[in-house]
Amino acid sequence: MSSKQRIEVRVNGIRHVREVEPRLTLADFLRHDLGLGGTHVGCEHGICGACTVLIDDRSARACLTLAVQADGHEVATVESLRAPESGALHPIQQAFVDAHGLQCGFCTPGFMMTTLELLRGNPDPTEEQIKEALGGNLCRCTGYQSILESVKLAAQRMKPGAPA
Amino acid sequence: MKPAPFDYHAPATLDEAVALLTRLGDEGCDVKIIAGGQSLMPMLALRVARPEVLVDLGRLEALDYIRDEGGTLVIGAMASKQAAADSDLVRRAQPLFQAATELVGHRQIRNRGTVGGSFAHADPASEYPAVALVLDTEFEAVGPDGMRTIPAADFFVTYMTTSLEANEVLTAVKFAPFAPRRRWAIQEFARRNGDLALAGVAVTLDIEAGLCRDVRIAAFGVQATAVRLTAAERMLEGRPAQPQHFEEAGRVAATALDDPMGCIHASPDYRRHLVGVLAARALTEAAARPQ
Amino acid sequence: MAIEIPTLPEQLPNDAPRHVGKAVNRVEDPALVSGTVEFIDNCVLPGMLHCAILRSPHPHARIVSVDTSAALAADGVVAVLTGEDVRRWCDPVFTAPEGWGNYCMAVDKVRFVGEPVAAVAASSRYLAEDALELIEVEYELLTPVATPEQAMASGAPLVFEERGTNVMLARKYEWGEVDRVFAEADHVVSRRFRWNRVGANPTETFGCICQWDLADGTLTCRGSYQTPRFMGIGRAGSLRLPANRVRIIAQPMGGGFGGKGGPRGTDIAALLSRKAGGRPVKYIEDRMEYLLAGGGQSWDRYYDAALAVKADGTVTGFRVRLVDNQGAGAEGYGTISAAKPLAAFTGNYRIEAAAYDLTLVATNRAPSYPYRGYGPPPHNLVLESLMDCTARELQIDPAELRRRNYIRPEQFPYTVPSGNEYDSGNYGQVLERVLALADYPALRARQAAARAEGRLLGISVVNTVEPGVFDWNAYATVGVPGIGVPEGVKVALDVFGNVTVAVGFNLQGQGQFTVAAQVVADYLGVDMAQVRISTAASDVAMPHFGQGGSRLGVAVTGAILGACEKLKAIFTTVAAHVLQLPADDLVLRNGRIQRRDAPAHGMSLAEIAGLMLTRSDLLPAGVEPCPEATYVWTAPNRNAPDDQGRCRSYLTAAYATHVALVEIDRDTGRVDILDYSIVDDCGTRLNPANVEGQLQGGVAQGVGAALYEEYVYDAQCQPLVSTFVDYLMPTIHEVPMTRKDHFVTPSPVAPLGAKGCGEGAMHTTPAAILCAINDALAPLGKELLETPASPHRVWKLLQEAGSAIANGPTGTRT
Repeated sequence: MSSKQRIEVRVNGIRHVREVEPRLTLADFLRHDLGLGGTHVGCEHGICGACTVLIDDRSARACLTLAVQADGHEVATVESLRAPESGALHPIQQAFVDAHGLQCGFCTPGFMMTTLELLRGNPDPTEEQIKEALGGNLCRCTGYQSILESVKLAAQRMKPGAPA
Repeated sequence: MKPAPFDYHAPATLDEAVALLTRLGDEGCDVKIIAGGQSLMPMLALRVARPEVLVDLGRLEALDYIRDEGGTLVIGAMASKQAAADSDLVRRAQPLFQAATELVGHRQIRNRGTVGGSFAHADPASEYPAVALVLDTEFEAVGPDGMRTIPAADFFVTYMTTSLEANEVLTAVKFAPFAPRRRWAIQEFARRNGDLALAGVAVTLDIEAGLCRDVRIAAFGVQATAVRLTAAERMLEGRPAQPQHFEEAGRVAATALDDPMGCIHASPDYRRHLVGVLAARALTEAAARPQ
Repeated sequence: MAIEIPTLPEQLPNDAPRHVGKAVNRVEDPALVSGTVEFIDNCVLPGMLHCAILRSPHPHARIVSVDTSAALAADGVVAVLTGEDVRRWCDPVFTAPEGWGNYCMAVDKVRFVGEPVAAVAASSRYLAEDALELIEVEYELLTPVATPEQAMASGAPLVFEERGTNVMLARKYEWGEVDRVFAEADHVVSRRFRWNRVGANPTETFGCICQWDLADGTLTCRGSYQTPRFMGIGRAGSLRLPANRVRIIAQPMGGGFGGKGGPRGTDIAALLSRKAGGRPVKYIEDRMEYLLAGGGQSWDRYYDAALAVKADGTVTGFRVRLVDNQGAGAEGYGTISAAKPLAAFTGNYRIEAAAYDLTLVATNRAPSYPYRGYGPPPHNLVLESLMDCTARELQIDPAELRRRNYIRPEQFPYTVPSGNEYDSGNYGQVLERVLALADYPALRARQAAARAEGRLLGISVVNTVEPGVFDWNAYATVGVPGIGVPEGVKVALDVFGNVTVAVGFNLQGQGQFTVAAQVVADYLGVDMAQVRISTAASDVAMPHFGQGGSRLGVAVTGAILGACEKLKAIFTTVAAHVLQLPADDLVLRNGRIQRRDAPAHGMSLAEIAGLMLTRSDLLPAGVEPCPEATYVWTAPNRNAPDDQGRCRSYLTAAYATHVALVEIDRDTGRVDILDYSIVDDCGTRLNPANVEGQLQGGVAQGVGAALYEEYVYDAQCQPLVSTFVDYLMPTIHEVPMTRKDHFVTPSPVAPLGAKGCGEGAMHTTPAAILCAINDALAPLGKELLETPASPHRVWKLLQEAGSAIANGPTGTRT
């Protein structure tokens, strides 16, 4: 039996210190140890992108990361998007709602976290750049057209100086 | 799909890592090194890989760098692929390596996956080994006896196997200066954008007075390891850089290829054919690249 | 009391329907984008254990022994289940055709790779998987039955020995004078087609938490259940429980598309709970389990089909012989999949006679399951491909050939030879619109120019009729008797006039909660924000079915309208009593019961509801203090089939025409979709954004089936696809962003005139892509009659045509 490791991870701004088995994936740690169920698991082998989170502001598949690898790092999940008290949706969330960028919604947190990284680095992406960014996220419901529109809408609304 | 149990160490320094690997090796432990983990994690989840001990290099931040050392591009083993893809230095100094990096998986994978991890993993479908074979690439590794340098031709042994010793850590990848006159291209064929290639070809060559010189062609995704297509290289040497010769080089490359792999997406014959097509396309693209 | 369900939005008691017909934002989305929806794996119960299942590595083998002693002693393990327990406690799962079912776990032999042979409940999934490695199973290998040909050969090994054959069902239908029309045909166009296995693969796999209450013998199953009550009845049968002691709680689902599976996983988790003293047991199928043995493999088909055609292009007959490799058993109701094409056998055309000869065989592949559309996607590919072959043979433009054969607008309602009645349509109008949208002449000009350069461009113009609102009567002749599919709701007003609609199903992605909220808000004259949709557990919900058969949007609309009609009657009675007016003088309008001639005089529904709940002294005699009503809707006017399966089965007939432009890379065989246009008519669009989503999502899955996805088995029946590295679902790069337009021809028979629209694009897209590929290949004299059109498969054809060689590896044209 492998010995547990003490890890300290900041998730959505909150510090967590836990003892975990080394083999525990970050996805399972977030979902089951911390109760952050928004990071969904679709394949557990790094293809579908549903579990995408940000580690130190960079997108990563939580199923391809061990919780111990997150020791000392900052993780952001979909739960970080919504305003904590008012519940107001983040512009990316609102854009997905307004442009009907989801159906079952299972893959959506992964798409939105990927979009967050994209728009932080490139506030005005072309359609090709959006496709390139989202190429690692599978959606079985929407056929992607409305997802593309959602990202465009989010970019438009998040541009500096855009009307709130 | 949960990994089998393993012990875990995350050494804080390179020396510590080497000492640990040596000790574990002496104890007869089955050890795996994890860097970004983007290739290893699925194998752990499927329990295809089930090491007793996992040694995580994630704390070796000293190995996370990309720098110019007197014209040689040196990429620390723990630099992420995305960092390499985004680096202006890499783009200027080694445009082929930069282009190959953009072909790897998706951004989420490139963010976590390391340059060194990919080379050490030596997946035959990876772009990197083939690129290393057509560039002047060297691998720097540190073991209990200190550092040694391994040329690319000696680094890749066979399927997912390199000449690194079990207690050696790959520390850096060094690319000799890439002459501005030199032409390059990489072409691959995958079922979907971002998938591992069914076949791919990387080329570098000079064109002097309209003739091909110092042609290097390597294929990936077709055999147990990346392979130089020497018959085609020889055929093209000194020939005019013209489409019909590139096509012939493709045919020669395809014909000379030993035992391509088969899988559900591509039979050996189809892979052989693809290598020919991609070689010709890559040569054509390279020749057409503005200087 | 006869309830009249409005068949047009204009009939809603509202001056301007404010929600129906608009692309309003979905009520389910704020929670979904927040990541707070309770998908099953987000649910945690006190004392919960985690199940992992040991699966057979062999396609066909006798189980000699199973030793679980080491697993039982392992860390964290609470219970281990084997086939012996299952034999003692269970019956085989329900199947169609009947009698081709397995137990939830192999009891004597395994019939496919991935079949459960043992299971563990432990304190974590990690420990449960560790324990699986300690279970020792001894197998005696049997010869696998890999193909239908092997299965039907005399002396073949038997998948189900007790049946004495591997043929599950053989059935011939004949509609009209088939022999005559083929004898009188000027052309008979026949081909053989192969549709390889594909499947649903929702992003969320199946999952459940089962708790067996040992004190009162009640089983509660929470899970990603698409058809809760149906699932409950099945569990009662397999677990030998009274049906009212099985409670199904449907959680929101991460997609379904028919292929969620669930019976086996539920039964195993339930039995582990029973063995673990009643502790809840969670089972989350992982992706590898899903790909090997989940509900995700469908349509493994061999077709031999022909059209009878007159010299002028009139198609008079359609003959289809189908051999369907169902895999190891019929737990996925394979007869339904094979028989569903009866509802639209001859597509959009006036084909006077047709015949269908279907054979379902058992092999040692995984059992096949439903998938979006159930049977028509392959069937329509066959029909539309034959139409294109005919067009080529007769040198008629494929659009023109279709135009000549369409059922004409004045012929509706139209009864097809296979018996179903199409409610309404105007196929020519949709065709002309899509040809204009795609600029068909320009596409043909582009193709001609490309061909002159030696490039392979292809265009298709492909139709479908989508049978909507399924009914069991469609399947009576293949062993699934019944007429009607109840879908029930309860509509309740509280003391403040807020509205709650209780339904029997949960979210799956199609947006039915939103549709429900739109409809009820418009009828009762409230804002959508005042409406809440809630899923009732199966033991207290009204009779219901859930998602399936392009039905739920229409059915839940009907149920809500029915309940609202009943509420209107009750509220009118109360208002008449309180206002001391004759009920006949009162109408419901804009959320008020008011005087027909003096609208200011009346009461709001909120006032009436409040009064009913708090002032029983003011109620008329005989009226309960209950501002609530239930209604269970089923499609009207359905009938029993005759011996040839002919009946009014599916209520609605939506339709669409797709125009696709593809290019084949001569060097590699790769197919790229360059342009894609769709025009459809699914009657009233209750929420146009939902419809758009269904269309585009269907296109994506169709692209997958046509070009990328395939469950590959080797000759020994070993599956070669067990991860997403090999099962290739399209990404954003592979799915075309389509151009769309539509017509609205309301269904004259369906609630608010809406037709089922969830499956049509899946019927059309694979055919559209394959037909375009064959149009591209036409100059080479080659046809691809197999799906998916993988580059390797296309390349082989190009090799045969000599094209790749002639053109050299770089594809330089001479």
